[in-house]
This record gives sequence, structure tokens and C-alpha cells, in this order.
Amino acid sequence: MIRLERLSKVFGSRPALHELSLDIPQGQIFGLLGHNGAGKSTTFGMILGQVHPTTGAAFIRDISVQQHRLRALQGVGAIFETPAFYDYLSGWTNLRIFTSYTRRLPDSELLETVHFVGLEARIHDLVRVYSHGMRQRLALAQALLPRPDLLLLDEPAEGLDPEGIHEMRHLILRLNREHGMTVLLSSHLLSEVEQVCDRIAVLNQGRMIFQGKWTDLTGDTLRYRLDADPWEKAAAVIATRPELSLAPGKILTVAHGHDIADLVTALVQARVKIRAVEPMKQSLEEIYLDLVGSPSAPAPP
Amino acid sequence: MPLFLTQLRFELLKMFARKRTYIGFGAFLLMEVLMLYLCNLSKPKAHLRHLIEQNGYGFDDYFSGVTLAMLILLWTTTLMGSLYLALVSGDLMAKEVEEGTMRMLLCRPISRIRVTLLKYLSAVIYTFSLIGFIGVTALLAGLIDRGYGGLIFIVPEEGIFAVVEPARGLCLYLLGMPLLALSMTTISSIGFLFSCCNMKPAAASIVTLSVIFLDFIFRGIPSFESLHPYFITSHLSAWMHIYEAYPPWWRMIEDYSYLLGLDLTCLILGSAIFLQRDLK
Repeated sequence: MIRLERLSKVFGSRPALHELSLDIPQGQIFGLLGHNGAGKSTTFGMILGQVHPTTGAAFIRDISVQQHRLRALQGVGAIFETPAFYDYLSGWTNLRIFTSYTRRLPDSELLETVHFVGLEARIHDLVRVYSHGMRQRLALAQALLPRPDLLLLDEPAEGLDPEGIHEMRHLILRLNREHGMTVLLSSHLLSEVEQVCDRIAVLNQGRMIFQGKWTDLTGDTLRYRLDADPWEKAAAVIATRPELSLAPGKILTVAHGHDIADLVTALVQARVKIRAVEPMKQSLEEIYLDLVGSPSAPAPP
Repeated sequence: MPLFLTQLRFELLKMFARKRTYIGFGAFLLMEVLMLYLCNLSKPKAHLRHLIEQNGYGFDDYFSGVTLAMLILLWTTTLMGSLYLALVSGDLMAKEVEEGTMRMLLCRPISRIRVTLLKYLSAVIYTFSLIGFIGVTALLAGLIDRGYGGLIFIVPEEGIFAVVEPARGLCLYLLGMPLLALSMTTISSIGFLFSCCNMKPAAASIVTLSVIFLDFIFRGIPSFESLHPYFITSHLSAWMHIYEAYPPWWRMIEDYSYLLGLDLTCLILGSAIFLQRDLK
């Protein structure tokens, strides 16, 4: 569905993206992960033909965005990190305006989409009085009109409260499962990407440092925080098992192919009281550091 | 084509739903009231009486609503009109880019050329609306204050001295409106050009005004008289010649060709600049 071929962008003397190549098949939810300034929005801009690549090309359905932008963007919906609207107009008028740049739509189709995003009660209010969550829903509604098969979502959960994030996640999954929509989603929130994406790419300072499945990224090892009593006895049990290693802070690393449940059984048999076994998620920083291969690697901006 | 018209309708809706679009309308209305008041004060009135009567015409016959409306147009549109047209046209592209709505819009399968064309047309329509509004309200205000009568129109720097009978005066006044709007479209075109560049909306308006004011200042310097044909403001006054007893048609065609050429250059150049820009 989307193919990026050695896409690079330099703004003035500042390189923003370096030779990014990606292939996103139809029907997939693909996550673009990275900190602010990693090159995610630049990539989106180039896919939409809003940013001119310095070198390389972007293709949607094998149509070059740079050469045939209008044809390539047929059936594409997009929302940005901070969705912008004509605040002095109603949500409904905004939808009418934006959709008029694609084709004329019947009111029934607009209404259906407004219902889908749950904005029917406030759609005739001025956008000026919308909350951030309502603006995101309106942004999603305009992206879904008229019925795209590719959705580009730049930081869709940005600024939303936990309930809003949950709703947005649910909507994205529904669109993918029920309507077969291909979704390219960018985020700096690991949990978001982890919960919805089939595959991901990680960008760091304009370079892609990983591409693959989420499970490939989280690595061969799993980490847990263990709280047991007496701790000395637990540590002795752990020391007898070569697949386990213990780090300061009672952090336990389990080698790939082994199950934490085996340790739990062994601890119970050794009459150690287990108070907590808590799986630990890596932060984006830790993943970056792991990916660039050195704890002393420079932190992303 | 029908979709283009729908899009143009929405462009106009966006423009006319903004409060700042009406600043110009409101300001001119206030100014017209102020001008009427000042023209009716004894000293200015005496001056106008002297001006008309020294040329052998009756003050009461020719200091009519139409003459008053013409005076309002003459004294206000070039500078004040430039200000409000620059404000709105400077906003056209730059405001949408600044607020992020341009990115939302360009997610759609619409070409940038089409966007610039829509914006430019809406600027032209705004210019005609504003000038039409000023013209009609000035006329109404003049008619209410002074009633129907002949038209006397004197612009020494353009060599214009026109005395016209009431019916013809009114027709010429109404004919002058679209010509004035056509002249003022050049200011909107310059505003559009700068609005397409990578600058803030306020900067685009200020640069537009600077261009017009500088042109106006340079044109007024006696040493630059030989350069008059190259100044924009030399051609902006082309509309006034319609009131002459024998309008210099060839000169007017030349002036409007210059202005239309400039408008087209601004449109093409602005579009080319906008095409090259990265929107992020």
C-alpha cells in the first residue's frame, strides 16, 4: 500500500530524514515510533506530498506521490498531531469544507461518519468551543470522509486523556478489522504503538534504527521486578538458574525461551513468599539505547 | 467546474465568516460618516463652495450626493483601501499555513495550483465587494445628506476637471466602481503574492503596504517624474479618467493592461512559490 524508497529530507543544512525505505502492505497497522524531531512528521509530509523529498520517492498503491499526487491521494485520509480547523465555523461546516476538496458528499454520508466518531450531539457547535478530544474526533471524521482505504495518523493520541486514548485506540482497531483499512500511525508513546500495531519502524534523529514486529523489538529477554521474602533465599534460588540474571533494584532478566512461571514454582517450593512479579516495560529511551547498542549513546532530543 | 464553484463558495464562506474581514467595511462606514460631518462644517463647506463657484458653477447644483460620494472615494480608497485589502489578502495563504488548516486541506487530492487559484479569486471577489460597499454606502450617505444633483470632480494632479449633469453623473459614478475595484485588485494581488511566501500573515500585509507606500512616495519625488510609467500607483488612478468629458481610452487601456499584467505576474509567481514550499 505504501512504499518509501530511500526517502531523505534536508531542511537548510539540517538533515531531517536519511534514506528511509519502508514497505507497508495493505490491511496492516504500521507504527512509526520516535521522539519529537525523529522525522515522523517529515515522513508523513512526504507521503502526503506536502514536503518535497531531497532524494527518494514515496508511493501509494504504486503511484508516485511526487509525480502524481492527486491520483496517489485518492482514498487517503490523514490527521495531524494538532488538528487544525476553522474555529469560527461549526464542526459540520468544517467537514463540508474539507470534503469538498475531494468530492461532493451527501449529508447522509457525513452524518454516518459523525455518528461513528460519536460527535453527533455537538457537530453543529463552533469548533472554538470543542475540547481537545472532540477536535481529535472531528479530525478523524474528516479523515474518514470519503471512505479512505489508507489512514495516516500523526500522533493521534497526543493530548488526549486516558479515556480518549482508549477510544481512539478502539476506533483505529475497528477501522482496521471491520473496514480493512491500512493504517500508518506515528507516536512517541510506546504503549500506544504496542497495543495497535502489527509492525513498527523506529526512527531516531532521522534514521530508521529498527523495522519489524513489536516482539522483535522487545528482544530475546523479558524483564520483571520481583518482590519476595526472604530476599536472600530468593536470590539464592535465582543464582542456581542460568537462564536468570539479577540486576540492582530486584530486576530480573529471563532469557528468551524460558518462562517466569518456572521460577515462581521453584520459589514456592523453596518456601519463599512471593509478593509481586511485575513485568517491566522498556521506555522509549531504553529501546533507543538498546537499538543503538550502547548505554552511552547520545539521548534523542 | 461545478466542484470548483462549490470550493470557491466555501473559500468565500471561510473569508466572510471571519470577523476581521469586516474591519474594512466597518472602518469605511465610520469614515464616511466622519467625512460627511466634516464636509458640513462651515470652513470646509466654504472652501468647497469657493472651489465650485470660482469655476462658474452653482454650489447647490453641483455639491450633490454624487459629488460628495466621489470626494469620499477619492480621498479614502487609495490609502485606506490599500490598508484593508493588504490586511485581508496578506492573510489569504499565510494564515491558513500558520494555523495548520492548509496542511489539513492538502491531505486531500487537490492540487496546490487549484488552491492558489481559489484563494486568488476569493481575494478578487473581496476587493470588488469592499469597493462596491464603499461606493454604494458613500452614495447613499451623500444622497441622504445633499440629495440628487450634478457631479463635479477635480483632480489637478491627474489633470482631471469634470462637470457632469445629474443623470450622467450618477451613471458614470456607478461605472467608475468596477474600474476602481479593478485597480485595487492589484493591491490584493501583491498581498496574495507575499502571502504565498514563507512569512507570517502580518508580515505579508506589512510588506504589501510597504510596497504600495514606497511606490507612492517615490512617485511623488519630482526627480523621478520620468519614471512615472513604472510606478504602480501611477496606474491605480486610471479609473478616474472615466469622468472626463473625453476619456483617454488608449491611456486607460494601457494602465489597465499594466495592472492586469502585474496581477497575473503576482498570481503566477505566488503560485510558483507556494508550489515549491514545504508545508510542515
